[in-house]
Amino acid sequence: MNSQSELSRRTVLKLAGGAGAVFSLGSFSSLACTPVKTGVAEEKTKKAALFVPNAFMNIAQDGTLTVAICHSDMGQGVRTSLAMLLAEELDADWHKVKVEQAGAGDNSPGGLGTGGSSTIRTMNRQMREMGASARLMLITAAAKTWNVDPATCKTEKGTVVNTANGKSIPYGDLVGAASAVAVPNGQSVQLKAATDYKIVGKPTPRVDNPAVVTGAAMYGCDVRVDGMKYAVLLRPEAFGASVGTVDDSAARQIPGVKDVVKVSNGVAVIADNTWAAIKGRDALKVTWNPGPNVAITTATLLEGLKKNVVDHKTMPEGARVVEATYQFPYLAHATMEPLNAVADVKEGSCTVWTGTQGPDGAQQQAARILGIPAENVKVNVMLLGGGFGRRSGADFVADAVEASKAAKAPVKVIWTREDDTKHDYYRPMSYHSMKGAVGADGAPVGWSHQEMQAGAKPSTDFGGAGIPYSIPNAGFLRSGAPSPIPNGAWRSVEHTQISVANECFIDEMAHAAGKDPFEFRRGLIKDERLKKVLETAAEKSNWSQPLAAGSGRGIACFSGYGSYVAHVIEVTVKGNAIKVDKVYAAIDCGQAVNPKGVEAQIQGACCDGLSTALRAEITIDKGGVVQNSWYDYKWITMEAVPPIDITHIQGSGDFGGMGETGYPSVPAAVANAVFAATGKRMRKFPIKVDELV
Amino acid sequence: MALYKIHVNGTEHSVEALPDMPLLWVLRDIVGLTGTKYGCGVGACGACTVLVDGDEMRSCQLAVADIGHKQITTIEGLSKDGNHPLQKAWLAEDVPQCGYCQCGQIMGAAALLKRKPHPTDADIDQAMSSHICRCGTYVRIRSAIKEAAAGGSR
Repeated sequence: MNSQSELSRRTVLKLAGGAGAVFSLGSFSSLACTPVKTGVAEEKTKKAALFVPNAFMNIAQDGTLTVAICHSDMGQGVRTSLAMLLAEELDADWHKVKVEQAGAGDNSPGGLGTGGSSTIRTMNRQMREMGASARLMLITAAAKTWNVDPATCKTEKGTVVNTANGKSIPYGDLVGAASAVAVPNGQSVQLKAATDYKIVGKPTPRVDNPAVVTGAAMYGCDVRVDGMKYAVLLRPEAFGASVGTVDDSAARQIPGVKDVVKVSNGVAVIADNTWAAIKGRDALKVTWNPGPNVAITTATLLEGLKKNVVDHKTMPEGARVVEATYQFPYLAHATMEPLNAVADVKEGSCTVWTGTQGPDGAQQQAARILGIPAENVKVNVMLLGGGFGRRSGADFVADAVEASKAAKAPVKVIWTREDDTKHDYYRPMSYHSMKGAVGADGAPVGWSHQEMQAGAKPSTDFGGAGIPYSIPNAGFLRSGAPSPIPNGAWRSVEHTQISVANECFIDEMAHAAGKDPFEFRRGLIKDERLKKVLETAAEKSNWSQPLAAGSGRGIACFSGYGSYVAHVIEVTVKGNAIKVDKVYAAIDCGQAVNPKGVEAQIQGACCDGLSTALRAEITIDKGGVVQNSWYDYKWITMEAVPPIDITHIQGSGDFGGMGETGYPSVPAAVANAVFAATGKRMRKFPIKVDELV
Repeated sequence: MALYKIHVNGTEHSVEALPDMPLLWVLRDIVGLTGTKYGCGVGACGACTVLVDGDEMRSCQLAVADIGHKQITTIEGLSKDGNHPLQKAWLAEDVPQCGYCQCGQIMGAAALLKRKPHPTDADIDQAMSSHICRCGTYVRIRSAIKEAAAGGSR
């Protein structure tokens, strides 16, 4: 490691500190994370021909800018938006930008955990600073070449321009000279004003899409390694069950089946191809030790939750009291790409290829299983065919590592769709007891929300309100009851239940107060940006214009993850069908990096909101999950997707998160719209039409 | 195990497989074409869609022994260099998010445009409603199909 790299390493660390992130940094040029192997000689030539000012980027002599992406892309578009941020401050030519994914291990800059709509919020400053500091180095190098004052130089589209005579040098031609320039101190780096942005804030197509539409894009499940075997597991039906006896005689008769081994999550059939592994798995005769959970059902879990509801805060005397309970089911993530991982376990080391939201967790998981230091495990982060929180786990990595260890060969473990549906870390089911009160003038005077969440510890401590409304005497209590069903983070995390229930209940309060649900909210909202999106959605939807009989509009809003959103949704209830006719969304995420990405997130969250409002649920019987696949865990398809009208308010705030934000107000607006259309409150999700009649 | 000769994207491949091995796994594990994706294995999501003699087919539902001389087209063979009108429209509309279902969506749309070069909204909804996209790119898929049908002039 030469002093240049050491310096840039320290600089990056210092800059990284501001974002609260912990990096393991190394020279960026060793960041090959794709399974494509480069020859050593070629690698050396490449290094000599690169300008590597920091761990996040390099510039080649042909002007190509390569940006290291330390977060996982599961459809939110961060491989594009993170590169845009760096390219902006570098004044790069966007057409010459390439991205390279960082993983864990092997001296890479470190793949960071991705979730909670945090990527842009935590990384934007750092990516911009990396671009800005490299830009200064390129200016210094050019000024030295021309023997002029750097202050007379400017940059545009991948070139340094001498303003005195209009001469310019492309960045690629400065690779050698810029490599000799000291990395500027972080404080001396000046960042652009948003008004000067040329790349950030402009609708930009995703960098991966050309590979996606030709089938060339590499997801975890597409990885093929020399000598690789394929494995599929038989897993227990009930949570907490364990393998008793295994009769694998029939499985071993299937041509292509190589071995059958017990692993932590069940019994793995290792074969020459996926089909032989699936057939082998289906031919296994396994007896299970049933474990302690076989009597657990959705009904017993719900009973447990209801039992722990405590007395609400006392409502002011004389006020009109409103009470309601809401119910949310377990939800699976159901990523389009079922879970999978490839592991190649060698003596004392291991390489993993997988689509993961947590490369570090995957690395530690493999190291623990193998009893080797984490730094001996390399995790290559592939494209993720959906994540939504599911790929933060490392259980699928454990499957592959254990199978590869047993097979003494690289192994790809594929979860079948049924495995994926039945062995998730689920959005927990919850039961919400709500009580509120409105005074004689229609103003709310009390609010109490108890969330009973399966798997949460019982509690009796009411905390802050957790609502965006000014309501005196407001409190929130999270409590629960034990559940053996594994819980995990799902799109918008706790807001999938809490904020949905809040937005349904505020509607009920408005009704009790005899007020319009939009005006009622508007009068109580504390935050001006939230008020603005609410007003915008109402205005766009012609809120005050009545709809035909049988149709109704619902409204709801949400602020979180640094962004603000409101929805108005129109539904028509006819006979035994709820049809969503139109969705209006208004969004303010502050400074948007890629407006195309913002719109996509709103559309996607809308589809998730409609799916979970009207279709999808996971139920429990005999201690396990009842549903299997898309045919009984139903997601929205094209014919049911309404026109989605999005108003993007280009806010003046900081960079907000967008992955989660668009979800919570959708199911709430649907339920509120069904009420507007029918006069019936739907308080159990998913809303079932037969409960309407 | 038996030896089968199958025709994929204009090339003949000899594959040794169990007779009931679905074309999906033949393509992915033996031929090495991974653009055709596994999503459910029961024909419920459309991620594995290919063209068989020009018709839309879920490759997880077609056993290798039943292919015979039929011509298989996968996403890798839809066009020489990614310039099929649908691929171009998909890029113009920036359709993919995670992208995993998109090869299947494009193959489904290709079969639709072959049947109906100028589909109505209802035609599109009906043809594409058996394709799941968990990212919810449906609005853009619809636009991209219309754009491709209009010859990219939209």
